[in-house]
Amino acid sequence: MLNEIFSLIFHVDFFFAIFRITAPILFAALAAVVAEKAGVVNIGLDGIMLISGLFGTLFSYWTQSWLIGVVGAMAIGLSLALMMGFFALKLKTDIILAGIAINTMSAGGTIFLLYMFTGERGNTSSLTSSNILIPTVEIPGLSSIPVLGDILSGHSVLTYVAFILVFFTWVLLYKTSVGLQIRAVGENDHAAESVGISVLKIKYIALGISGILSGMGGAFMSMYYSQSWNTGVVAGRGFIALAAQAMGHGEPVGTMFASLLFGFAQALRTKVSGIQGVSSNLISAMPYAVTILGLVLYALSTINKAKRKKAQEQKKD
Amino acid sequence: MNNKRMKMFEIIRGAAAILVALLVASILIFICSDKPFEALRYMLISPIFSNGSISMNSIYTILAAMTPIIFTGLAVCVMFSSNQFNMFGEGSVMLGGFIAALLGIYFSTGTYLDIIICVLGGAIVCGALMYIPAILKVKLGASEMVCSLMMNYIVMYVILHFLLNVFADGSKGTIQTYPFAATAHIPALVPGGSKLSWGFIVALIFTALVALFMYRTRWGYSIRMVGINQSFAKYSGMKVGGIVVLSQVIGGILAGMGGAIEVLGRFDTFLWRDLPGYGWTGITVAILAKNNPIFVPIAAFFIAYLNRGCTMMATYCDVPSEMADIIQAVVFLFFAAEQFLAKYRQKLVVAGAKEEIAQKNAAAEGGKA
Repeated sequence: MLNEIFSLIFHVDFFFAIFRITAPILFAALAAVVAEKAGVVNIGLDGIMLISGLFGTLFSYWTQSWLIGVVGAMAIGLSLALMMGFFALKLKTDIILAGIAINTMSAGGTIFLLYMFTGERGNTSSLTSSNILIPTVEIPGLSSIPVLGDILSGHSVLTYVAFILVFFTWVLLYKTSVGLQIRAVGENDHAAESVGISVLKIKYIALGISGILSGMGGAFMSMYYSQSWNTGVVAGRGFIALAAQAMGHGEPVGTMFASLLFGFAQALRTKVSGIQGVSSNLISAMPYAVTILGLVLYALSTINKAKRKKAQEQKKD
Repeated sequence: MNNKRMKMFEIIRGAAAILVALLVASILIFICSDKPFEALRYMLISPIFSNGSISMNSIYTILAAMTPIIFTGLAVCVMFSSNQFNMFGEGSVMLGGFIAALLGIYFSTGTYLDIIICVLGGAIVCGALMYIPAILKVKLGASEMVCSLMMNYIVMYVILHFLLNVFADGSKGTIQTYPFAATAHIPALVPGGSKLSWGFIVALIFTALVALFMYRTRWGYSIRMVGINQSFAKYSGMKVGGIVVLSQVIGGILAGMGGAIEVLGRFDTFLWRDLPGYGWTGITVAILAKNNPIFVPIAAFFIAYLNRGCTMMATYCDVPSEMADIIQAVVFLFFAAEQFLAKYRQKLVVAGAKEEIAQKNAAAEGGKA
C-alpha cells in the first residue's frame, strides 16, 4: 500500500496537480491576507468566489473572450466586496455577519441568476466551449527541461498570475504607502486616524483588493479548473483560504506555503482515493486538522515570545 | 415612554427590512417570470391558504422544518451573546444526528428511553467537542471562527469515513446506516404522513428554558455581559474565560440536540452525506431574533414559511426556489445593520427627549403654581 502511494506521489503529474490545485486557494488566501492586514475579517470570500465564478463564465460566453470573462469576474468580486464594505462600514453590520450574508446569498442566488440570465439549471456545461476557457501556456526554455519543465510549464495563465501575485501583494503591503496605511489601520485604527489616515477609505480599498483577488479565484475555478460553473465549484475554498491566511501568520509568503500544503493534501486525496485500504475521506480531513494544529502552534509561539520579552524586561530592571 | 418608542422602532425596522427584501424579490420575479402575480401569490399566500381553504398539511411541513432551525437558532443566540463567532453549529447538527442514529442502532434498550439516550448522547458529544474551539480561544487566543469552520469539515469527513467504511448498510443502493430501533424514532405529533414530530414541542420547551437561562440566571447574565463589554465583565470580577467556554458548550449541546431530534424524527436511518446547512440557517434565525431566545421560533417560522413559499412557487411557476436564499440574505443584512434607519431612530430619540423635557417643565410649573 505504502509503495503504491509513494510511486503515485513521486511522479510529475502529482507535482503539477499541486500547483493547479493550490492556485485558487492562493488567490483567496491573498485576498484574506490583504483584508486581514486592514483589520477586516472577510468570511464572505467563499460566496464572492462562487458568484464571480458564475459571472466569469457568463461574461466569457456572451463575449466569447476568456479575458473579458476574467476581468468581469474581477469586477463582480470588487463590487460584492464593496457592497460588503457598505453594509459593514456605513450601516455598521458586523463584518462577519455581512460575510455570512454574502455566503447565504451565493448558495441559491447563483442558481437563481443563472436561470434568470440563461434558463440553465444548476450548471453552465452547455454554455462552455474550449475557446472561452483560460488558456494554458508553455514557457519557452523551461518546458524543454525534463521533470522540472513538466511540473512548472503548461499551467494556465492564472496559475502563474497567482504565484506572481504573492510577490506583488508583499510589495503592496510593505513597499507602498497604501500598504503602510493598510497595516496601520489594521494595527490600530485610532492611531492611524490620529495621523490623518482615512480609515474608512483604507478599509474600502483593502476590501476592494480582496474582492478582486477572490474574483480571480472564482474565475479560475469555473473557467479553468472544472471547465464550467456549478454550485459546488468552490467547495469551501474560501474558508480554507481563511485558514491558510491564519496558518501563514497573515504574511503573503507564509500564506503561500500554507496554501501549498492544502494543495498538496487535496492532490493527495485525488491520487489515493482509488487505492484499497486508504480512506480518502480521512485524508480529506487532514488539512483541516493541520490548520487547527498550525493555529495552536502559532498561538503558543506568540505567547512564548511575549513571555520571554517580559522576562528580559524584568532582568533589565 | 422612551423604551416603548424604541420597541416600536425595532418593530418598524424589522418590517422595513422584510419589505425591502420582498421588494427585491418582486423585482426579480417580475424580471424572470411570465406570470409574476401568480408566482407572488404562490410564494406569499399558498404556504397557508391554497384552493380557498387553510392547508393543514402545508402548515405541518412548515412547523416540521422549524424544529432543527429553532435549535440551531438557540445555539447561535447563546454563542453569539458572548460575542464568539463560533460556526461549529453546522458540524454539531450532523454529528449529533450521527451519534443519535448510532446509539439507536447499536445500543437500543427496546423502550422509549431510547429517544432520551440517543438525543442526550448526540448533545453531550457535541457539547464536549465545543471545548476545542472554546479552550483554544480562551487559553491561546486562537480564532474560534477559523477553528470552528475547520472542525465542520473534519467532522463531516470523519462521519463520511465511518458511514462508508464501518456502519454502511450494504443491502441498500444508497449509502446509509442500518435503520435504528423503532423505539428510538420520535413519534409523530399529528396523524398522517407529515414529518411533524414531538421534537417540535421539545424545541418550544427549550426555547423557554434557554430564554429563562439567558435572562433569569446569573450565568445567562454573565454570558450577555461578557458579550456586551468583556473588559467591564472582567473588572467586575467575572471569570470571563469560563463564561466564554460555558456559552459555547451550551451552544454545542443545543445544536447537537437539534441534529439528533431531526434525524430521529424525520428519518429512520442516517443518510446525510453533506453538512445539512441548519447551522448557517441558525445564524440567520438568531440575527432575525436579535439574539433573544424568545423570538427564535418567530424567526424560524419566517424562514420556514419563506422556504415553503419559494418551493411552492418553483413547483407551480417558472421561478427557481433558490430565490429564498436571496430574500434571506437581504433580510439578514438589513437586520444586522445597526445604522439602518438610524436617522429615523435619532428623530425618535430627540422627540422622546423633547417630550420628557416638556413634561418636566409642565410639572415644575405646576409645582410653582
